[in-house]
Amino acid sequence: MHHLRRQFSHVGRLLQQSKLTATSEIEMSHFNQLASTWWDVNGPQRILHKMNLLRMDFINDTIKSHLKLNKGVTDPEEQIYIPPFNVDNVLPKEIADRINGEQEIRRQQLWQQLKLDALDIGCGGGILSESLARLPVVNRVKGIDLSTEVLEVARQHKKLDPMVREKLTYELKAVEDLDPNTEQYDVVTMFEMLEHVNYPAEVLKAALRHVKPGGWIFISTINRDLISWFTTIFMGEHILKIVPLGTHTYDKYINEKELEKWVEDGHENSDLGDLRKQFEVAGSKGCVYLPCYGWKFTDNVEVGNYFMALKRRD
Amino acid sequence: MFQVIRRFATSVSNVADIVIIGGGPAGLTLGTALKNSPVTKHLKIHLVEGGKIIEPLNSFLETPPPNYLNRVVSLTPSTIGFLDSIGAWSHFNQERTQSYDDIVTYDGVSGARMNFEHPDIATMVETTNIQAGLLSRLNELNSQQEVKLVIQEDTKVTSIAKDSITQWPTLKLSNGDSLTCRLLVGCDGYNSPVRHFAGIESRGWSYNRWGVVATFKFADTEFRFPTGWQRFLPTGPLALLPLPNGYTSMVWSTTPELAEMLLSLDETEFLSMVNAGTRLSTEELSMIYDLAKSKSPDLLEQIQWRLNLFAGKLKPADEENFPLQVSEIVTGSRARFPLKLSHADTYVEDRVALVGDAAHTTHPLAGQGLNMGQEDVKSLVGALERATSRGLDIGNSLALEPYFSERWPQNHVLLGVMDKIHKIYSTDFAPLVAARSFGVDVLNSLGPIKDFMVGRISGNSKR
Ligand SMILES: Cc1cc2nc3c(=O)[nH]c(=O)nc-3n(C[C@H](O)[C@H](O)[C@H](O)COP(=O)(O)OP(=O)(O)OC[C@H]3O[C@@H](n4cnc5c(N)ncnc54)[C@H](O)[C@@H]3O)c2cc1C
Ligand SMILES: C[S@@+](CC[C@H](N)C(=O)[O-])C[C@H]1O[C@@H](n2cnc3c(N)ncnc32)[C@H](O)[C@@H]1O
Repeated sequence: MHHLRRQFSHVGRLLQQSKLTATSEIEMSHFNQLASTWWDVNGPQRILHKMNLLRMDFINDTIKSHLKLNKGVTDPEEQIYIPPFNVDNVLPKEIADRINGEQEIRRQQLWQQLKLDALDIGCGGGILSESLARLPVVNRVKGIDLSTEVLEVARQHKKLDPMVREKLTYELKAVEDLDPNTEQYDVVTMFEMLEHVNYPAEVLKAALRHVKPGGWIFISTINRDLISWFTTIFMGEHILKIVPLGTHTYDKYINEKELEKWVEDGHENSDLGDLRKQFEVAGSKGCVYLPCYGWKFTDNVEVGNYFMALKRRD
Repeated sequence: MFQVIRRFATSVSNVADIVIIGGGPAGLTLGTALKNSPVTKHLKIHLVEGGKIIEPLNSFLETPPPNYLNRVVSLTPSTIGFLDSIGAWSHFNQERTQSYDDIVTYDGVSGARMNFEHPDIATMVETTNIQAGLLSRLNELNSQQEVKLVIQEDTKVTSIAKDSITQWPTLKLSNGDSLTCRLLVGCDGYNSPVRHFAGIESRGWSYNRWGVVATFKFADTEFRFPTGWQRFLPTGPLALLPLPNGYTSMVWSTTPELAEMLLSLDETEFLSMVNAGTRLSTEELSMIYDLAKSKSPDLLEQIQWRLNLFAGKLKPADEENFPLQVSEIVTGSRARFPLKLSHADTYVEDRVALVGDAAHTTHPLAGQGLNMGQEDVKSLVGALERATSRGLDIGNSLALEPYFSERWPQNHVLLGVMDKIHKIYSTDFAPLVAARSFGVDVLNSLGPIKDFMVGRISGNSKR
C-alpha cells in the first residue's frame, strides 16, 4: 500500500521533469519487439488472445446489466415490472421466469439499439479494438498506442477483415496527448496497460477525460501479490515461458483495493474540478489463468488479474 | 498495392461470413439455427448444394408422395428438442412421423432376447421430411430478415483455395461463380471435399458390410403398438423400425455378397426373404441364401414351407416376441449403402469446420449418425454465438476450438461403442454367443471378459 502511495505521489513531480510520456523507453522497445507475432493466437500473445474472451464478456455483461429498462417509457402499460428484490428466491418459478423473461427481452431490445463510440487506449496490435469493432452495437472504434511497430501491425491486420475495416481507426498517440474537447466516447478501454506505465494515476486521469456523461471506462491490470508474481513473472515468464520475458515489472502492479480507493479519494478531494467525482466503481471481477484451460473468472478480486468498470454519471 | 485494392473492390459481392457446403440434414439445420439465433442472424451466409433440393423439398410438403421414402432415420428426443427450439419441428409433416418407445432385440444364433429399457421415445422420420421442414422454416426466417441466407442449389464446389492476402477460403463453383468466406463449414457428407481441402485426415475402416434398405407394410393380422425390432444375425443386424399406418422401414446390414443377392431378388422373393430373416434359424437361413444365390425356382416355396413350420411350432404366447410378417413392399424402395466407420482427426482448422457425416460416419445399428450431426450443429452454433458476442472473428481457431473440444471426445466414445456392438454381434464364435445371450448389460458388466472377447473378435472381423 505504502509502496503505491509513494509511486502515485511522485507522479506530479516527475511529469513536470519529463513532459514526454508516462511510459518508459524500456517498455516501448519491449512491445515493439512483440509486434510481428501479435496476431498469432498460438504465439507469444496467446494469453492476451484468450484473456480477450473474458474481457469482452465483462464489458458486455456490465453494460447490459446497467441498462435502464424503463428509461423514457412514460406509459405505465408499457413499463417492465422490475421488483425490488431477487424474484428467484421469493416468487413461484413460473412467475419469476416470466418477470425475468420480460426483462431479458427488453434488455436485448435496448442493447441492440445502442450505437457506441469506443476508444481503446494502449490498443497494441488491436486484439480488443477489432473485437469491439465487430459488435453490431459499436459504431466506431479508435485505437491509440505509443508503439509505431505494433500500430503498424494493427493497421495491416484490420485490412484483412471487411467487418472492421470501415469502423476502426488507429492513431499513434499517448493518452495524455489526446484532445479531450474533441475526443469523447461512450466506452473507453484500457486493458493490460496500467502495469506497464510509470505514472498510473496520471494516465488514469487522462483517460477519464474522454468518457462521455453516462459512459464507461473499463480497466484491467494485476494485483501486487505473491500469487500474481508467482503466476505472471515466475511461472509465466521464467518457467512456462508462455509470456515473453520482461513483459511484467512487479513494482508496477496495482491492487484492486488501491484502484478503488483512488476513485474514492477523488470524491473527497476539496478540488471540485476533480473528475473522479463523476465516477463510480460499477463492478470488478478477478480472473486467473489456468494452464490447459485458459482464463477463468474468480470471486476474489484481490488476487491475480482483475477487471474494473467505472461509470460516469449521466 | 493498386492490385490489392482492386481485388477487394471487385470481390465484395462474393464475400460471405459463412459458406456451408451441403444441403443435407446437417447443412440445412446449421443454416436454419444460425438464422434463428438473435446473435448470429446478421451474418452473411451461403449454402451450396450439389443436387436440386428446393423444388423437390417444397413439393414434398405441398403434395406429399403417397408412399414412404426409403431413407428413414430414428431421431432422439434431444434432436427433436433442438429442431423445435429453432422453430423447425412444427414445419415437418407430422403425419408421416412415428414415435415408439419399445425396442425388442433378439439374437439370431442363441435365440436370446431382451427388451431394451428405452426411457426415451424415438421418432422415425424420413430424411426428406427433415430437410423439407428445415427448408420451410428457413424460408420463413428469410422472409422476416434483412440479411437472407442464400441457397445455391444444383451447384457443385469444384475447387477450394486460400486467398493469397487474407488467407480466407475461396471457392470455385460449377456455375462459374467464385465465393470467398470467413468460415467454410463442410456439411458435405462422407467424402467431404472440405475435409480434403483442409488436409484433415479421417481414419476408420469399412465394415465390409452393406445396409440394404426398403419400406414394407406389415400383414394386417393383429394390433401392435409401434415397436422397433432388431435381430442380430451373424452377418449383421436386421432392423424393422415403425412408420405410421402399419408401415415399417427396414435396414438389413449384411455382407456385400448377400446384399448383392438381396438386390437381385424380385420383390415377392425379397419380401419372403425378409420374413425368413426375422424368424428362421441361422442354419435355415444359410441354406435359403444358397438357394437364392443359385437362382433356384424353389426359393419361394422353401421359405414358405419353413415359415409355416415355424408358425406351427410357435406358442401363441411367444408370437409377440417376433415382428408381424411383412406383406407388401413399397415398389422401388429397395436400395443399399456401404457401411463404414470413420472419424476425422479434427473438426476445425483455421477458417474451416466439419459437421455431421463429413466429420464422422458410423454403423446405422443404433441409428445415431444423423443425431450425432444434430448435436454437432447445436455445439457449433453455441460456439459461434459466444464468439460473435465476444466480437471474435468466427473463422479464427479461438472461436472454433470449443466446438471441437466439446464434440470430438463424445463422438469418439459413441463411435467406439457402436463399433464394439457390431463386432460382438457379428459372430458365431461360441463363447461369445453364450456371453451375449445374457444381454448387452451383463456383457458390459463383465469387464475384462468382454475386453478379451472384443479383442479376440476384432482380430477376426476387422476388415
Ligand atoms: C442405411 C442407413 C441407415 C441410417 N439410419 C440412421 C438412423 O436411423 N438414425 C440416424 O441418426 N442416422 C442414420 N443414418 C445416417 C444418416 O443418414 C447420416 O448420418 C446423415 O444423412 C448425414 O447427414 P449430413 O447432412 O451430414 O450428410 P449428407 O446427408 O451426406 O449430405 C451431404 C450433402 O452434401 C452435398 N455435397 C457433397 N459434396 C458436394 C460438393 N462438392 N458441392 C456441393 N454439395 C456437395 C451432397 O449433395 C449432400 O446433399 C443411416 C445411414 C444409412 C446409410
Ligand atoms: C500489454 S499491451 C496491451 C495491449 C491491448 N490493450 C490488449 O490488451 O490487447 C500494452 C500496450 O500499451 C501501450 N502503452 C503504454 N503506455 C501507453 C500510453 N501512455 N498511451 C498509449 N498507449 C500506451 C503499449 O505500447 C502497449 O502496446
